[in-house]
Amino acid sequence: MGDIEKTVAGEATEGGLSRRQFITGVGGLGVGAVIGGLFVNGFALADDVLAIPASGGYLLIDQKKCAGCQSCMLACSLVHYGRENTALSRIQVTQNPFGKFPDDMVLDQCRQCPYPSCVDACPTGAMHADPETGARMVDEGKCVGCERCVNACPFTPSRVQWNHEDKHAQKCDLCLESPYWSRDGGPDGTRACEAVCPMKAITFTKEIPIQSDAGYEVNLRNSHWGHLGYPTDNAGRVVSTGSTGSAASASH
Amino acid sequence: MATGGYVGKILYVNLTDGRTEEIPTEQYEQWGGGHGMASALFWDRVADKTIDGFHPDNLVTLMTSPFSGTLVPSASGRTEVTGIGVQAYPIAWYTRSNMGGRFSGELKYAGFDGIAVQGRAEKPVWINIVNNKVTIEDASGIWGMDTHASQERIWELVGGADTNAGDWQALSTGRDSGRTTQRPAVVAIGPAGENLNRNALLLHDAGNAAAQGGFGAVFGSKNLKAISVIGTGSVPVADPALLMDLRLFLQEDYAYDVDDPILESPVPDMNFYGIITRHPGASPVLWQGAGHPNRPQGCLGCFRACRRRWNNGIANGDACAESCYWMASTDQDDRMAATHLLDQMGLNHYDVKNHDYLVALYKMGILGPGKQIESNLPYEKYDKLEFIQAYTSAIANREDIGADLADGIARAAVKWGRYDEDTTSGLLKLPNWGFSEHYDPRVEVEWSYGSILGDRDINEHGVNTHVHWMPTVQGMFGMAPLVSAEELVTQISNATGLPPEGWDYSEEGIYADPKIAAVAWHRHYSRFWIQSMSMCDTAWPNLVRYAGPDNVGATPTVEPQFYKAVTGKDLSYEESLELGRKIWNLDRAIWILQGRHRDLEVHANYVYEVPTSAPYPLPVKENGEWTYSTCLGRTLDREKWEAVKTRFYELEGWDAATGWPTRATLAAMGLEQVADELAAAGKLGAEA
Repeated sequence: MGDIEKTVAGEATEGGLSRRQFITGVGGLGVGAVIGGLFVNGFALADDVLAIPASGGYLLIDQKKCAGCQSCMLACSLVHYGRENTALSRIQVTQNPFGKFPDDMVLDQCRQCPYPSCVDACPTGAMHADPETGARMVDEGKCVGCERCVNACPFTPSRVQWNHEDKHAQKCDLCLESPYWSRDGGPDGTRACEAVCPMKAITFTKEIPIQSDAGYEVNLRNSHWGHLGYPTDNAGRVVSTGSTGSAASASH
Repeated sequence: MATGGYVGKILYVNLTDGRTEEIPTEQYEQWGGGHGMASALFWDRVADKTIDGFHPDNLVTLMTSPFSGTLVPSASGRTEVTGIGVQAYPIAWYTRSNMGGRFSGELKYAGFDGIAVQGRAEKPVWINIVNNKVTIEDASGIWGMDTHASQERIWELVGGADTNAGDWQALSTGRDSGRTTQRPAVVAIGPAGENLNRNALLLHDAGNAAAQGGFGAVFGSKNLKAISVIGTGSVPVADPALLMDLRLFLQEDYAYDVDDPILESPVPDMNFYGIITRHPGASPVLWQGAGHPNRPQGCLGCFRACRRRWNNGIANGDACAESCYWMASTDQDDRMAATHLLDQMGLNHYDVKNHDYLVALYKMGILGPGKQIESNLPYEKYDKLEFIQAYTSAIANREDIGADLADGIARAAVKWGRYDEDTTSGLLKLPNWGFSEHYDPRVEVEWSYGSILGDRDINEHGVNTHVHWMPTVQGMFGMAPLVSAEELVTQISNATGLPPEGWDYSEEGIYADPKIAAVAWHRHYSRFWIQSMSMCDTAWPNLVRYAGPDNVGATPTVEPQFYKAVTGKDLSYEESLELGRKIWNLDRAIWILQGRHRDLEVHANYVYEVPTSAPYPLPVKENGEWTYSTCLGRTLDREKWEAVKTRFYELEGWDAATGWPTRATLAAMGLEQVADELAAAGKLGAEA
């Protein structure tokens, strides 16, 4: 991702932000649909425009590599809150055990939208973009529980959750504030879901992905994956190793 | 300060009067979790332990452990099921089964460490658990449905029309009632359970089954169709940072690296080699991905994801032996369809797989239309899907030969007057308690001794994977074993704390004291870590590492570390074995009240009379040297087995004349009350 250059140090606005350069080309849902690794530095803004820095990075998940074990969800609540609760995970995996691959599962990670509706919706500045890393996150002390952020997320399920036990909104902060492990989180550290995934189906990029509204799709399946009898093509349709599959090996 | 891992209460449901009760988990915490707690609950709540499994007083439990619902690797998703079974022959022992998936985690999130069900409902019901709210629902609309359809219907009943939308759903009214994106975790019976088939199973999601013991029929006898649970609560962890760090350490050092594996199958798309590598999706051992796009599928919190989910949705999650249900066909699609039907009907493949025995009888002219054993199934089409579908349905519905097979293959063979002859010749291999042969009882004795001294086929692969499968699979691919026999037994010895001779399967070794100690260790370790702490048999114990800088396994170092991280309590490896021994002794006492005596602990005749005739690799020490032997031409020796029993009983502190624990042994473990009940029944072991 291109460096964000400060041109003007402006006054702080409600969200604790100042005017600064930002990514151009915001799509209808706040996702940078037209940008793929080639960045245009921002331009100076008018005084009354609220500017939000881009996130320091984005989680990419290969849905076709996911085994549905939900270790990512267990890790998320564990490193943030020190307890296990899939309802408090900021990354969600939903699946139909009777479903047909690859349509049996949906991975719902926060996309760290360039134009975050959740930040825009927050009346107190609790939901904000961290000035240093750009991670969209909740300052829990300022959260008043209005849940406008939960409703503002353009995705289903909302990537903002209401934490019903600690009584504040929460969302993926790229593990920036994850006290319960020995690694440092954040865009320059390690993300717990990414580290724990036993299928290595989650990766991280500092460059905003080329995207459709369907999701941050990525193909992380290499030849070793194909060697195990899994599809490595983007669509997940072709298993190219072994026999035709119509004749099982002889009984042992 | 409450112990981490537990959520504080066990749900008791009485279906006779509809009463529910919350039992404080603290009352049973000394038993660890899972099986230990289950047996203690059973002991307390079933006054007459000689009742039949179909009796309303039978207590069925579905138990979690402190590890359930947490990141302890391959220990998060399994559920232990216990109660008096209906499968074993000639006595259906108090027994156990277990299933994978996510039920146990969801139960913890709902706020329960386990469920215990007793009584019998007047009409079909299902139990609905939504966080703390427990209701007994009318199941008349789902009785008769297969295991899959029942679950899908229950999802709708619990969550309403929007339940499958993949969106946040509140479990109750109010901002803080908790929301989830997940579907309820449901365990259900199918037609087989409703029809009281002794091999009916409990099915959860697509392919997770608690299949041994006939608990599907026990549910059916209680008019219990299903249990559904959904929750949004938290599981406390004593040292969460340690748990996370341990998890990452174990994964990084001991798990298969999917992007850059150290040890990889020599042949592409070959699951069978996965017995060694434990690569994702290895468990449907003979099914291939070619022509069948799929993903790996793992239970909650697992780090190996041993199953698969397929592009046609057939046989999702099916693994291991049930994927080998019907080997007569060479068509993978047909074989997957057969296993899928088995799941839907809710039948234990492990007993009903004996269709090959029926076909043998058919070829012998004993079974068929108008024959001595009447059956009109299309046996001449044995390798066609039409046969296996007709056969599976007949058993589930008690039709045709299914009327006899509904009581299991052993009782059917008895009814046909063939049991003695066929288990003597080995035409029907049922080595212990009417269970089908799993591993060769004549040579792999940690399996056959452990099974006959217990209640069922042990189905614990922790030792078997290394002593038998590693050399066997290597040989299948024309390769030498990954490590020498001496190195293998050295590593297992270091991991278990037992001498290497405990892993000697030679003619002398299988009767020697180190072997007897090894069998006892295996009972104790498994009762605690596998069956009470819900650690998965396909990953634990971790005895040998083949892919890494050395061959040293993670056992016994990491288990107590995970225990400490989750619960906050110190439990040494030695103490864990002691707790396992205590649980094993409690089970032993129940079996004794049911009629166990050393005279019953004798394998089927073929084990002693028919020599092995196929290579069966195992490590042996012969003439002072360790090698892998093919173990051909071997039987168990009756007298030597009797001597083994005597020394096993002595080792365990049981009366050698009967196999019954003594008061001294039980008292030393804090089980005086158990000794009292045995004494009252005239079944307390005499002191030496």
